[in-house]
Amino acid sequence: MKPTYFINFMMGMYIFIFFAYLFGPLIVMSITAFNSAEFPSISPWECFSFRWFNEGKIAYDGQHLAGLLSDWRLHDGIISSLIIGAGVVSLSVPIGMAAAIVLTQVRSQLRDIYYSISIMPVLFPGVIIGISTVVLWDRIAGLGGDGFISDVGRNGIFLTILAQTCFISTYCFLIFVARLQRFDQTQEEAALDLGATQTQVFFKILVPYLMPAIASAAVIAFLFSFENYNTTVFSILSDQTLTTVIASKVRLGISPALSALALTIIALTIIAAVTYEILRRRSEKKYAQSQEIFVKEKAASGRINKEYKAGFKVPKGIVAILLVLVFATYGATQIVKNDLYGQSCIDAADKEKKSKFLEQLQTLESNELTEEELSGGSLGGTEDYGDIFGDPSLFQDFGGFD
Amino acid sequence: MSADVELNNVSVTFGSFYAAKSVNVKINGGEFFSFLGPSGCGKTTLLRAISGFQDPSEGSVLIDNKDMFGIGPNKRPTSLIFQNLALFPLMSVSENIAFSLEVRGVSKKDRQKRADELLELIALEGQGEKKVHQLSGGQKQRVAIARALAVEPKVLLLDEPLSALDLKLRQRMRTELREIQKRVNITFIYITHDQGEALTMSDRIAVMNEGEIEQIGPCDEVYNNPLTPFVATFVGENNPLFGKVKEINQNKVRIETPDGDFLSTMNENKKLNIGDEAIAFVRPESLFIPRDGDNFDNQIEVNIESFEFEGNIKNFYATLKSGTRIKFSIPNAIDTSSISSGTKLQLGFESIKSSILPKAQLAID
Repeated sequence: MKPTYFINFMMGMYIFIFFAYLFGPLIVMSITAFNSAEFPSISPWECFSFRWFNEGKIAYDGQHLAGLLSDWRLHDGIISSLIIGAGVVSLSVPIGMAAAIVLTQVRSQLRDIYYSISIMPVLFPGVIIGISTVVLWDRIAGLGGDGFISDVGRNGIFLTILAQTCFISTYCFLIFVARLQRFDQTQEEAALDLGATQTQVFFKILVPYLMPAIASAAVIAFLFSFENYNTTVFSILSDQTLTTVIASKVRLGISPALSALALTIIALTIIAAVTYEILRRRSEKKYAQSQEIFVKEKAASGRINKEYKAGFKVPKGIVAILLVLVFATYGATQIVKNDLYGQSCIDAADKEKKSKFLEQLQTLESNELTEEELSGGSLGGTEDYGDIFGDPSLFQDFGGFD
Repeated sequence: MSADVELNNVSVTFGSFYAAKSVNVKINGGEFFSFLGPSGCGKTTLLRAISGFQDPSEGSVLIDNKDMFGIGPNKRPTSLIFQNLALFPLMSVSENIAFSLEVRGVSKKDRQKRADELLELIALEGQGEKKVHQLSGGQKQRVAIARALAVEPKVLLLDEPLSALDLKLRQRMRTELREIQKRVNITFIYITHDQGEALTMSDRIAVMNEGEIEQIGPCDEVYNNPLTPFVATFVGENNPLFGKVKEINQNKVRIETPDGDFLSTMNENKKLNIGDEAIAFVRPESLFIPRDGDNFDNQIEVNIESFEFEGNIKNFYATLKSGTRIKFSIPNAIDTSSISSGTKLQLGFESIKSSILPKAQLAID
């Protein structure tokens, strides 16, 4: 074996392990979302089913194991997460931008101090930010009696917005600083020189320049807010966000509905990323084309002046995505409508479980225990278990363990 | 509409550093005036003082006899063309040109009309919809000029706007700038370190060194009668011959150098006395190889070291007896094929084409 083969093999292995490590858990979890079993698992595989995306399962005892669409706690959590996300975006983007602009104006040693203070919230543990926000606002709420201040100061969503903004605005700040570092300040001077007021310079020159940073800061702020747990869990008080709902679910017993939720989020993320990438490539292509036209117009010689056809370009990528989305939505609706998500398999599995249970019951009945055995037998116990095991009617209403 | 610009004893300091020191100059309305000087001589600082980005620490800037102190750049009747042009990359060419009208609340229709007028002035008709990055260097240059002219400023300030262009384009833009200036007839104040630009375009130039003005005057006067050794060596090329004043006869001065005595012309503003340390300057193009019948005031013996071919002229580098290096240029029309390194030559120059100044700092030091 040549050494290069060996190196290539090791490289391949490394890459495989790396990606397996990265995506393995996500893939496993995504698969569990389609297993009809009540506990997220791949084996034993019960039935292929969409029920965890839909209404979930009504157990034999009447307990409702909610699916993704029927879980009102998840819904409430998502709604408050969205509200908090919007609030955090609308606060932290302006704060981050203002802080970054100030940084460009500050000179001398003050600049380093200012920068250090500005990024400090990122270094604080989120728990501390959460707790301190609650403590502070509890004081403030206590000042005003039962009025508006008291309501606001004890509103979990309001407090969470404030607490998250504390550190998320710092991420926005860093994004703006990065963009502003490449800003050509003579543009501001040029605008001023051409008669613009400072306000006009801000809105006509600086804001358009910062637009990409504003967009990415908004997206990042929203994502940070949406997935935040450690600050939120304290500041949310009696409300619930998506993360706290999920956390409490994990504590009470995990269900495949969470896998379904995770898969949905992953799918949305992938769609968003692919769409963004396609749009980016399209605009890059457009820019390259305009440059090409420019070069061809400029080229005096016919050497590179080949015929250029500016034909009508169908935005293939976008059409493809739209088609996929339309078909996927239509297909999913149809599947749910027509009970095509593995109901027959589930029924069969349930039947089998029930029959097994009956068998067990019969076995139990045929091996009836003696009084002596029930009273502990050779183990020496004295308690009487006869009332439990001796009464078959006890299990009549119980669907069984499955 | 043009305006006079007057700098009265203007100094600009940054801490203890004088970027500009006691500058006095009066620029007439409609004039093409250049500040010429090496990098860091304070010319950009002066421009910023005129445009309003930097108020002077001392003295005053008057535009149309009005003191501009405390008046911001957006309130002054000046337009500045930046070294990097500072076009707005996110706007189209028309939007760039009409920006100054937009911020003044001019309606879209009028803005478009004015932009089209200016596009015609700079010979870019029908290209207003293009983005800035689709323009070539020279076109960007012209757009920057059009943008600065859109509000009809009384004074146009130009901060080395041609320095990023290639030679051919630079030469063409010089002519165009001059033509535009004649057409719009406003005061142009131009800043450059390129003496060629300053000389070809300007009515008058001011040569600056270390924050101070060394000489103000029409181009030919500055070139032919420099007031200081700095001006003599910064504007154009000059060969310095160091020595002592030996004899003065009206404005003719004889200087004694290790390479012999030379007769030179004294500037009437720079009086010299016998025995003073002085420098006589002679330009490379004023040194000639004497032909039969030529009779020059000064003769000088040189030893050719090397030469370079520049196209229209051939430059020769030679040493004098004392080891002083000297440069002279011969038009390509004259056959110089017999001259090579090691050749000994007798050169001549006229005293009227040589100037003598008291010893001071040179630009090439």
